[in-house]
Amino acid sequence: MRQPPRNAIAKDAIKVWKITGAIFTGFLLLAAVIIATVSYFNGYTYWFTVIAIMITLLSALLFIFILPKLRWRRWRYEVFEQEIYIQYGILIVSRTLVPMIRVQHVDTKQGPILKGYSLATVTVSTAATTHEIPALLEEDASELRDRISALARVDEDDV
Amino acid sequence: MSSPRRLHPAAVFFNLIKSLREMIFLFILGFITFREQGFLYFLMVAFFIVILMILFHALAWYRFTYRVEENELRIEYGIFIRRKRYISKNRIQSIDLTAGVIHRIFKLVKVQIETAGSGTEAEGSLSAVTLGEGERLRSELKQRKKSAEEEVEEAEENNDPSFTISFKRLFLAGSTSSSIGIILAFFVVAFSEIEQFIPDEVYSNAIDWVVSLSLILIAAFIVFILIMIWLLGIAGTMIKYGNFTITNRKSELFITRGLLEKKQITIPLNRIQAVGIQESMIRQPLGYAAVFAEVAGGSQEKGEDFSTILFPMIKKTEIAPFLQEILPGYAKLPEVWEPLPKKALKYYLFRSMLPFILLGAAVIWFFPSFIWLAIILFAISFLLGWQRYKDGGFALKGNMLMVKYRVFGKNTMLIYHRRIQAFEKKQHLMHRRENLATMELSIIGKFGAGKHYKLKEMKVSNTDELSDWYSYRGKLNMNKKDNQRGMK
Repeated sequence: MRQPPRNAIAKDAIKVWKITGAIFTGFLLLAAVIIATVSYFNGYTYWFTVIAIMITLLSALLFIFILPKLRWRRWRYEVFEQEIYIQYGILIVSRTLVPMIRVQHVDTKQGPILKGYSLATVTVSTAATTHEIPALLEEDASELRDRISALARVDEDDV
Repeated sequence: MSSPRRLHPAAVFFNLIKSLREMIFLFILGFITFREQGFLYFLMVAFFIVILMILFHALAWYRFTYRVEENELRIEYGIFIRRKRYISKNRIQSIDLTAGVIHRIFKLVKVQIETAGSGTEAEGSLSAVTLGEGERLRSELKQRKKSAEEEVEEAEENNDPSFTISFKRLFLAGSTSSSIGIILAFFVVAFSEIEQFIPDEVYSNAIDWVVSLSLILIAAFIVFILIMIWLLGIAGTMIKYGNFTITNRKSELFITRGLLEKKQITIPLNRIQAVGIQESMIRQPLGYAAVFAEVAGGSQEKGEDFSTILFPMIKKTEIAPFLQEILPGYAKLPEVWEPLPKKALKYYLFRSMLPFILLGAAVIWFFPSFIWLAIILFAISFLLGWQRYKDGGFALKGNMLMVKYRVFGKNTMLIYHRRIQAFEKKQHLMHRRENLATMELSIIGKFGAGKHYKLKEMKVSNTDELSDWYSYRGKLNMNKKDNQRGMK
């Protein structure tokens, strides 16, 4: 765990996270508009509106412009024959080791945004934990899934 | 035993009581609503419902059959929708026999058959069979086919190492159970010359009427309540852990406990994920601890703990011999622990004190005269943080990792390499600058959920050392050997 894992995830992940961030911010904006309208018609203090707008702007800045890039830069993974090694986290950096013989099942999943960029997420589950490698190229993801599943087929000892 | 069997007819009665208990709220509601008008109708309707329920349960009892066939437990049930549930012998993890008070009057037991599934209820549940039948079922469903040799061993059951809790020990366990914590805290505050601290204006203002009730009377009442809580705590422990006996039967642990409700628990050794020693704050100074195990699978029962208690009250010095007899694989307690680095102390103090700093600030702001309370809380949280720091640590012994940490009580966990499902190292910015890291281990817990153990702010060199130890890269064979050794 001294060296970070070697492989980066797909660069388009940044775009996907930006879109997700934009959608989230869109909801905040909607809430802000509602707050503004309600405050205006009921004559509440304008501070509510100001705070709502501030929160919206801050989240736009964070979730669209700052975090996606940092997150992508941090996200790393490496699949060895015996284990999976992943690193993630912006402020708190986590490095996780998941031995192949502990893997129970592997999934790939793809939401509409990921699909738009031909990306997919690989999820690895043990009996106690679930780990995700987000936003890999579709073919990489399915290849990784098959590979992990094949490697995980090691002689099973009791749970 | 291939012919289908029914439960003991008393099962109808048990199930009836169970569904009546679930409906009692409705009855009470009805009683309150119709108390004035139409009470007679209400009674009639209620009576009708009860009759209907009796019929329903009788029919359900009639339709519920079980049999052991082709190495499977086959349960068929359902009145309108027939359901068949086949549980393969090989998949059965544990068979527990429980006898409640009413069960014991009729000499009946409840049989609960559990597989590794993560459901909230036992996969197979026979609510009432006779004791003999229950035991026969259990021996019939025992996972492995026994060799003749083992059969002999089984017969000489008395030779299996076994521990029983003494009455004195049990009483001590009850009197130091968590309820005493509340009481101690109260007494500490109440008898440290509390009156000196209560400022005058409190007397003269809103509390005036309370004072007029006579402080002594109130104090006596509170003391009485506290003693009652304490006695209830003792009684609760006595009832739950009365006659606690644990036996090591080679491939499984067998626990019987309970004064009123008698419970028999079987724990297959290979289901044990970790063994823990807990020293609660009150028991620790007395030199006592509880030993427990994390067992995979199992179901969520009322009043069931998250961890399985292997012995509720044991002297610290007795733990090693106890484990040697009961779980030899776990009988290697370390003498030397790797402590946390000095740099970690400030994080521990900060974490435990932060809520009290905020609380204290609020107290000082709103009730300046109660500043002494804030100071006491502050001091306690400081000590707690300090103790958490002192008690954090790990030790590595072959293929076993031992972690100790404190929340309120002090916990020591013994975990085999092959039981750890994932290993995580976490660092934030300040950690990285100071070469500290937090380690998180995950094992399988009860109900199919993971259990996670964290040791915060270790030396980064230590986490790296442990991750090397954990890493499977290029040493798959070694691990295989460990597996065999671990089993023994």
